[in-house]
Amino acid sequence: MSLTRRLGASPAGVAADADPVVTRFDDQLIAVLPRLRRFARGLTGSVVEADDLVQAACERALARRHQFQEGTRFDSWMFRIVQTIWIDQLRARAVRKEESEVVEARAGSDEPMRRVEARLTLSEVRRAVDRLSPEQRAALLLVTVEGLSYKEAAEVIQVPVGTVMSRLARARLALQTQLEGGGGLIGSTRNVELQ
Amino acid sequence: MSSYSDDRLVAYLDGEIDKDEQLEIEAWLDNDPVARDKLAALATSGQLLREAYEEVVREPLPDRLIAAARGERPPPVTARVLPFTPRRVSAPAGLRQRWRVALPIAASLFGLLAGGSVAYFGLDRAIPIGMAGSSTASTTEATLANNLWLDNAAGDFKLFVGTGGKALIDVPATGDSHEALQKISQSLTQQVRLPDLKPWGLSFSGARLVVVDGRPAAQLVYTTDNKAIGPLALIIGSSKQPDVPPAFDRRQGVNMLYWRHQGRAYVLVGQADVGYLWGIGNDVAWQLDAI
Repeated sequence: MSLTRRLGASPAGVAADADPVVTRFDDQLIAVLPRLRRFARGLTGSVVEADDLVQAACERALARRHQFQEGTRFDSWMFRIVQTIWIDQLRARAVRKEESEVVEARAGSDEPMRRVEARLTLSEVRRAVDRLSPEQRAALLLVTVEGLSYKEAAEVIQVPVGTVMSRLARARLALQTQLEGGGGLIGSTRNVELQ
Repeated sequence: MSSYSDDRLVAYLDGEIDKDEQLEIEAWLDNDPVARDKLAALATSGQLLREAYEEVVREPLPDRLIAAARGERPPPVTARVLPFTPRRVSAPAGLRQRWRVALPIAASLFGLLAGGSVAYFGLDRAIPIGMAGSSTASTTEATLANNLWLDNAAGDFKLFVGTGGKALIDVPATGDSHEALQKISQSLTQQVRLPDLKPWGLSFSGARLVVVDGRPAAQLVYTTDNKAIGPLALIIGSSKQPDVPPAFDRRQGVNMLYWRHQGRAYVLVGQADVGYLWGIGNDVAWQLDAI
């Protein structure tokens, strides 16, 4: 388990207690920002878009803070807001999104040297995530990166657990296929022992 | 021997299946090298995926997001925030409000240090007699102890900065930094480990003993040329109070990130803004397994 996730989950996952250092709503929000940024970065594939998304989520969360139920996971609530806004944005900008994907794909094929370098880095992994469908990407990031259970991820995405399971499996296999084909990142470590 | 769908294999990897099915899948894997390879590749891709996004949570938070989280008007976006670039260090309005509340308590640095000695010699002497033994008394005691500790931590830090960061180090980190830790740990009940904060540009400068909640504690001092981040102090002490999640505070003009975990209390003190403190706190907790 990512220990960053562990720290991130604590202030965000519980309601404020009576400690003199009061964990206020906005403190909880700041505490969960790094993970929101990571989730948003994975969803959008862009630093600026991700931060725009998180900023919009913060504004919506503050406007609807009365809807948050004490005792429930604050981080899951925030992930759901990020996810909802992102889906709304995707729908609103569907045409522009398609155009940008075409441009990006063309740029990749025209820059073989850049691609070779990328193979040696984790940016290849992020690029592979960008190629997944939005639905698969969200499930993959919530479960595999953010460490949510299938049930928690299902609540965030608002689909049945079985749907999360199938999206996740397809996403994991697609990611693996892309990485094997793209740079041998998986092939080179195929003999890693499982715990 | 039955085979399993990709859904079940991934669910097995994620620990999302029951014990019986887990045993069945493991029996299948024992007899199917192709499936084992597939599982290993899935595990590796999952690990790569986590690594690919891990750096994001270590990045300093952009000011505009902190402002948004606090419900403030975001500053105009003129440039993108990159790690370790100079940032404003003045407190957001919400924190300034708390500063005004804390001001009457603050008195003076030496007054606070003297207040700390009250905690050192026994808090019950500072609590009104009529409250002793009641649940209110224990809550008040805990509140007083924390206030004193955090005020002392802020006072110690200001004193350290005021001396140019040199005079208040009992054990300088000359050469082997672990030797400094050994010396400090001799006075403590538990060995203190040294978090490596070099990824943040922070170098360990030395350590000193301070008093926290009536017990000796280690104050680890880190410095950097980047004034947006350092200097920074990490105080690690023991505590009998229950665990609390990390929370921010601001006292005497310095920012603090404070939490307790399994009998230990931690506070990061510095002039870095809460975004940096949060990232560094993440790192400290990760390295010390302190959450």
